Amino acid sequence: MDTFNALLTGFAVALSLQNLMWGFLGVTLGTAVGVLPGVGPALTIALLLPATAKLDPTGALIMFAGIYYGAMFGGSTTSILLNTPGESATIVTAMEGNLMAKRGRAGPALATSAIGSFVAGTLATILLTVMAPVIVDLALKFGPAEYFAVMVLAFTTVSAVLGASAARGLASLFFGLMIGLIGLDSQTGQARFALGIPELLDGIDVVVVAVGLFAVGETLYIATYFNRESDKLEKMKGSIWMSRDDWRRSWKPWLRGTALGFPFGTIPAGGAEIPTFLSYAIEKKLTKRPEDFGKGAIEGVAGPEAANNASATGTLVPLLTLGLPTTATAAIILAAFQQWGLQPGPLLFETQPALIWGLIASMYIGNVILLILNLPLVGIWVKLLEIPRPLLYAGILIFATLGAYGLRNSWFDLALLYGVGLIGFLMRRYDIPVAPVLVGMILGPLAEQQFRRALAISQGDLMIFLKQPISATVLAITALVIIGPPIWRRIAARRAPRAQAPKG
Amino acid sequence: MTARARIHPGELAIALGLVVLGSFVIYETQNIAETQGYAQIGPRLFPYLIGVGLTLCGAVLGWEALSGGWRHVPLDEAHEAPDWMAFGVISAGVILHMVVIGWAGFIIASTLLFVLIARGFGSRKPVRDAIIAVVLAVVVFFLFTKGLGLNLPKGPFEGVF
Repeated sequence: MDTFNALLTGFAVALSLQNLMWGFLGVTLGTAVGVLPGVGPALTIALLLPATAKLDPTGALIMFAGIYYGAMFGGSTTSILLNTPGESATIVTAMEGNLMAKRGRAGPALATSAIGSFVAGTLATILLTVMAPVIVDLALKFGPAEYFAVMVLAFTTVSAVLGASAARGLASLFFGLMIGLIGLDSQTGQARFALGIPELLDGIDVVVVAVGLFAVGETLYIATYFNRESDKLEKMKGSIWMSRDDWRRSWKPWLRGTALGFPFGTIPAGGAEIPTFLSYAIEKKLTKRPEDFGKGAIEGVAGPEAANNASATGTLVPLLTLGLPTTATAAIILAAFQQWGLQPGPLLFETQPALIWGLIASMYIGNVILLILNLPLVGIWVKLLEIPRPLLYAGILIFATLGAYGLRNSWFDLALLYGVGLIGFLMRRYDIPVAPVLVGMILGPLAEQQFRRALAISQGDLMIFLKQPISATVLAITALVIIGPPIWRRIAARRAPRAQAPKG
Repeated sequence: MTARARIHPGELAIALGLVVLGSFVIYETQNIAETQGYAQIGPRLFPYLIGVGLTLCGAVLGWEALSGGWRHVPLDEAHEAPDWMAFGVISAGVILHMVVIGWAGFIIASTLLFVLIARGFGSRKPVRDAIIAVVLAVVVFFLFTKGLGLNLPKGPFEGVF
C-alpha cells in the first residue's frame, strides 16, 4: 500500500514535462550509444557528469538511468546486423541474431529483442518496485560493520569470483582501490599519495579514469589489433514484424531470461554477461528445434536479450537500496549521486522519496519509449552503423579529451587521461577486467569510512565484524563464495577421470 | 592442457609492475602522518592493506607467467599482428592535443586530434577528415561554451567570438 502510494508520487514527478524530457533524452542517447560500437553507457554517463553538476539531480539521474537500460536495447541492433556486439552484454545475441540476419530474418530478430527487452525491463522494474522497500527495511538496521561486510562481498564477487582469473580481477580491484586513496583522507584531512603534486590533492576524478579506460584505452586497443577486417552490415530485408510462430517461440524465453537476469543483477555479482550466457545455454537445451541453433534460432535471441535488460534493472536494486555498485556503469551512477552530495541507501528513500520514486517510475515510462524507438524507428539507428570507423573513433576522442580537459582546464588531466588510457590498453590486451577498477575506486573510500567507523564504535575490537549477526552472515557468504568454486572444481576434476575410466 | 612453451614478456612485465606499485604504496604509506585521536584506525591501515594486495597479486601473476603463462587467457589471433604504427599515430594525436590546447585553443587542438585519430584508423582522406573535424569542433565548442557555460580556450580566436 505504502509502496503503491510512493510509486504514484513517483509518477507525478516522472510525468512532469521537464522530467519526461530528460527521460526521453536519456533513452535516446542510451539507444544511440548502445548501437555504436566503442561507446558504452559507462563512458557516456562519465562524460556527462561535469556538464550535469548544476542541473536538478532528479532529471539528470532519470537521464542516466535511461542511458543505462537504453544501451541494452540499442546494443542488440548492432549485434544482429553487424555481428560485432554493441555492448559486452549483447555478445550472445550476436551469435544467433546475426545468423538470423544472414538468412534474411533481421526483422524478426530485431523485433524479438526489442519486445523481449521491453517485457524484461518492465517486469524487472515491477520487481524493483516491490523489492526495494523490503530491502530498505532490512538495510535500516545496518550499522557501519554491516555496510563494510556487504562492500567486501561486492568487492569479492565483482573481482575474484566471476571472470576468467581471480588474480587478474583482484589486481584490477586493488589498482582501483589505490586510485581511490589518492587525495585527502576523508576522516583526518591528511594528504595521501599526492606526491607533492597539488593537482592530486583533490584526488583523481572518476571522469578521467572512466574515459581513459573506456575511450582512450579502447581506441588504442581496437586500432592496434582489430582494424584490419572490415565489418559487414547485414541489410534489413522484409518485414520487421514477427510471425505467429515467432511469438510462440519467443514468449517463454523472454520470461525465463527475465527470471535469470534479474537475480543476477541484484546480487552483487556484477555484469550481464553471465546471465545472458546461461540463458542461451538453457534455451538451447529446452528448444523443440535444436537443429535451428547455429543457424539462427529465435529463442537464442529472445532469452539473452531479456536477460541482459532484466539484469541492468536488477543492478539498480543494490545501488539504490544499499549504495552498492556492482557494474562499471552502476559505479559511475553512484559517482553521479555523490556529485550532488547524495548517498544512495535506505536513508535516501526517507529524505528524497520524490527523487528515488520519480527515478523508479521513470523507468516504466522509459521502457515504453524504448519499445517505440527500437521497433518502428529502428531504421534510424541502423544509419548510425554506417559511420566509418575512423570518423567514429576520432569523434569519440574529441569528446573524451573535452570531458577530461573541461574538469578544470588543466593539461595535467589530459596527461592522466593518456596514462590511464595506456593502462586500459594493457588491461584489454592481457584480459584484465576493467569494471573492478571503477568499483574499487568509487566504493573503496566508502568502505574505508565504514570500516573506521565500525572500529571507532567497537573501541578497536576487530571482532565487531563477526559478533554482529548480519555482518557475520555476509562475511561467511563471502568466504563461501571464495572457497566454494575451487573446491567444486577439484571435486569435478576428480569425478571426470572416473567417469571416463571405463572407456579408457 | 598444453602449457605455452615460452614465457610471455608482457605478462611478466605487468606482474613486475604490480609488485613495484604495491611496494611503492607500502613505502609511501609511511609518509602519511599517523594522527593519534579518537579514531582507532588512522589513515594508514587501508593503504597498507592495498599495497600488500597489489604486491601479492603481482607475485601470483608473476609465478603464473613463469609457469606456463597466465591462466585462462582467451587466445586471440588478432593479438599476433599488432599494428604499432596505428598505436603511435593515435598516441601522437592525444599527446599533441594535450600540448597545444592551452595556446592554440580547443578548435585547432581538436581538429588535429580528429585528423590524426582517423589516420591511425587507416583513413586516406585527410581533407574530408579535416572538414568534418572543423565542423564538429566548432559545433561542440559553441554547444559547450554558450550552451553549458563551460570555459574552453579560444586560442587565436580570442576576441573574434
